[in-house]
Amino acid sequence: MASFLLEIRTEEIPANALPGARRQLQNLFAKHLGDAGFTAFQTTVLSTPLRLIVTITDLPQKQDDRIEEMTGPPSRIAVAEDGSPTKAGLGFAAKAGLPFEQLGRLETEKGEYLAATVNHVGRATSEILAEITPAILSSLRFPKMMRWGLGSFLFVRPVHGIVALLDDEIIPFEAFGITSGTTTVGHRVHSPQPFEISHADRYSETMAQHSVMVDPAERRRNLEITAQHLASTVGCMVHDDPRLVAEHVELVEWPGLIVGSFDRDFLELPPEVVISTLRHHQKCLILEFGDGTLQPFFLAVIDRKDDPEDLIRLGNEWVIRARLADAAFFFSEDRKLPLEDSIAGLERVEWHRVLGSLEAKAERLGRLAVTLSGQLNLDLSTESLCRAARLVKADLTTHMVGEFPELQGVMGGHYLRLEGADEELWTASRDHYRPVGFDGDSPASELGRVLGVADRLDTIAGLYAVGEKPTGSRDPLGLRRAAQAIVKVIIDTGWALDLEKIVAEAVYGVADQATEDIETVKRAVTGFMADRLRRWLTDVTGVAGDTADAVMASGWFNACETVARAEALESVRSNDSFRALALAFKRVQNITDGKAEGDVDSSLFEHTEEKELHDAVLEFHATLERLLPEHRVTEAFEAMIPIADTLDRFFIEVMVMAENNEIRANRIALLKLLGRDFLTLADLSILQIDGGE
Amino acid sequence: MDLQTLILNLSRYWADCGCIIQQPYDTEVGAGTMHPETFLRVLGPEPYRVAYVQPSRRPADARYGENPFRLGRHLQMQVILKPSPDDIQGLYLKSLEAMGIDPSVHDIRFEEDNWESPTLGAWGVGWQVLLDGMEITQFTYFQQAGGIDLAPMTAELTYGLERISMFLQRKDSIYDIEWGGGIPYGQIRLTDEREASTYGFEVADVDMLRRHFEDWEGEAVRCLEHDPPLVLPALEATLKTSHLFNLLDARGAVSVTERVGLIARVRANALRAAKAYTEQREAMGWPLGNALEAESQEKGAV
Repeated sequence: MASFLLEIRTEEIPANALPGARRQLQNLFAKHLGDAGFTAFQTTVLSTPLRLIVTITDLPQKQDDRIEEMTGPPSRIAVAEDGSPTKAGLGFAAKAGLPFEQLGRLETEKGEYLAATVNHVGRATSEILAEITPAILSSLRFPKMMRWGLGSFLFVRPVHGIVALLDDEIIPFEAFGITSGTTTVGHRVHSPQPFEISHADRYSETMAQHSVMVDPAERRRNLEITAQHLASTVGCMVHDDPRLVAEHVELVEWPGLIVGSFDRDFLELPPEVVISTLRHHQKCLILEFGDGTLQPFFLAVIDRKDDPEDLIRLGNEWVIRARLADAAFFFSEDRKLPLEDSIAGLERVEWHRVLGSLEAKAERLGRLAVTLSGQLNLDLSTESLCRAARLVKADLTTHMVGEFPELQGVMGGHYLRLEGADEELWTASRDHYRPVGFDGDSPASELGRVLGVADRLDTIAGLYAVGEKPTGSRDPLGLRRAAQAIVKVIIDTGWALDLEKIVAEAVYGVADQATEDIETVKRAVTGFMADRLRRWLTDVTGVAGDTADAVMASGWFNACETVARAEALESVRSNDSFRALALAFKRVQNITDGKAEGDVDSSLFEHTEEKELHDAVLEFHATLERLLPEHRVTEAFEAMIPIADTLDRFFIEVMVMAENNEIRANRIALLKLLGRDFLTLADLSILQIDGGE
Repeated sequence: MDLQTLILNLSRYWADCGCIIQQPYDTEVGAGTMHPETFLRVLGPEPYRVAYVQPSRRPADARYGENPFRLGRHLQMQVILKPSPDDIQGLYLKSLEAMGIDPSVHDIRFEEDNWESPTLGAWGVGWQVLLDGMEITQFTYFQQAGGIDLAPMTAELTYGLERISMFLQRKDSIYDIEWGGGIPYGQIRLTDEREASTYGFEVADVDMLRRHFEDWEGEAVRCLEHDPPLVLPALEATLKTSHLFNLLDARGAVSVTERVGLIARVRANALRAAKAYTEQREAMGWPLGNALEAESQEKGAV
């Protein structure tokens, strides 16, 4: 068995392009080799910022020989009277790659056919690799592609070298104007001289000798272990940050780390500012005490093994001091005037091309917040809501948020707090962008929750109204997350909010800017919210998809109440009698579907089972009227269970489709009555129950 | 190393690499990219190598000389290599040695940072180069300029000279870096930064700026419609409108909706000037040569 090695050496590939490139290479090689008839091979794709690497082991030296029995056209078409080949006969001979005279004959029920036995001699694996590799390379796609030099080639970054070996033999091909060979280079600092790869199996080991760790997983392990060790040397722990570590793994050929420090005075800045400076601007790992308090140290990832003259640490410390001093400057600049004074600037900042400035956004936000607060009977005045709507957006015009957009809301919260604003107000500013989707806590104050929900409703309605709804995997403005956050806040808080009504209000709020039909937008946004609520039911509440569908079919505009029904149904649905009931209910639905409701006349009953069912339905109805106002939903579902037997007996003894019109209508009316009460809780016919019809 | 030695050393280095050493453009520009030695020379098939320092004016970035890291006018060292050579990263790393930096004892990184200028109809992909965590250079492979797809491709290196000096001299304020002969940057530039901030944020006459925007825009069109088009005068008039827009913007006089419109007007003339330039050079038979043809002849000979 042979091993294949491919190394494409480039200039620095963007970190975010590498995982996708590895996936594509994995899939494309598997597919092309599979198409060529190879089966048991193992593909591993590795990368560094400067190389894409494919290794494939367990490849045979050649394809298996293969004998193919081909059946051609019928002889009467392929062979002329005189035995000479017709056009069809010659065509088949060409296809089989044999002279016409060597073709066989095959007798079938339908007559005689031309036939051929073709011996496909397996091609050398090296020959196949030389063919598929350049084809695969030219089909790789990256988020952003470029040209270089004379502009003849398109790739993610300029290509400088190609190593392609099957064991110790070069796989010859040309790509990006470069001929494949055996020469590569090591780490830019530690081993810049060219050298040869002698055998595909020795690649990783040889690269490690030249200070390149080619396996991202190994770089990651290395980085994590070193980080913990270095943190402990200054008595700290590493703030857990898997995303940043994952990015660093793609940014280095050899993961080095240095620990540096900064002036303790900077810890007087809001911790979020220090973290943003270190993490977002400098990509440093944050160090903290076990209790989560920040410490004046950082870890910087470097692409080399050492810091031989201590210059790298000094440089990083200088940059971080400069960055923190810059942040401190912005912080003090922003604090010169009260945040209220920044409101005037909202008009000058565009929020959306069609939907207008931040001032327009804050205006709509205020109005929708008033409506929302009204629907919830909250004790928030119109003036305070409209003022708060502008104040929580005011930090978008500050220096600090201009510099650190991720601190929106948080900075406003700090400024308002330092100015002595009410806790309700400053926490509203801090919290109103939270949670992010289903993750994180809902805002601490009622004001924060109202503003947060109203803000996102306005955003979703606005973007739908101008035709920028999310499609498939494309959701650049994070509308799905925004809608999920709305669902989470409503449920966390226990709001009895009518989602359909508030969505309609949000949509009417953007009617003046809308480029789409408003009623269509309303329906689309309502559907979008339903979709997100269903996601909550399945992913957070944890009910089955059909449970979610069954309860939502009975109404979902009140999200909290829907969750309660979903939980209750999920808990009773495994009960055997309930399963029987659900199956029987399917029958009820089938029989009564499309029939009009009517009054039940007990004098028309002919069987005791009719009366029994009627009594059970009336009792259930009374039970619902007693339980539902008290939100005792589980008991309501449980109250359905005893009806199972009664209904079963009814179906055994009673023929619903009676000859007599009156009796038939009366029986349908009885079932309809049962159905109506059941449907206030859930549409049980949607449940997929084993043993169903 | 003081600021002027940095400039002299980088100039010497890039001259040795075959660059023409140009001078700053004498019209206000927001970036070295707007200098015709970049914006026009990257168009068409003629090979070119040039380096120059360009004072770049960004009135909205001015901070009354109070912020130790930000300036309303800063110095960029701009290097243009067309077509981009194969060993461009090696050439760049050697330029660091000219700055007194030994790459073998530092951590030098190329992290993705793409560049786009809607005003110039230009974009490119590339990196910011980090030295021990400090951004020292913007490195861009131009893909399009003046709305025209480029071939051959140009590599552009832009060194932020004040930032690099701060880092090399380990100063906490731009105004403390040594310019040359022991004279600090602040002595030479601080008053100028303060005045420019006051002018840009408080004093500039908005009506006059608007009038001049219209005037220079009209002038650009007149130059473009002249037979034959006057390319450089048209570009200069367009650069004037770009600077006037920046002043209006800093002054807070541009509304959200107006902003898009004004940028589109500047861009329209920049695009026309770019097109006129390529037509002019083509009519002249690409006087500096045709890199694409030279390549195909070489291939033909093989």
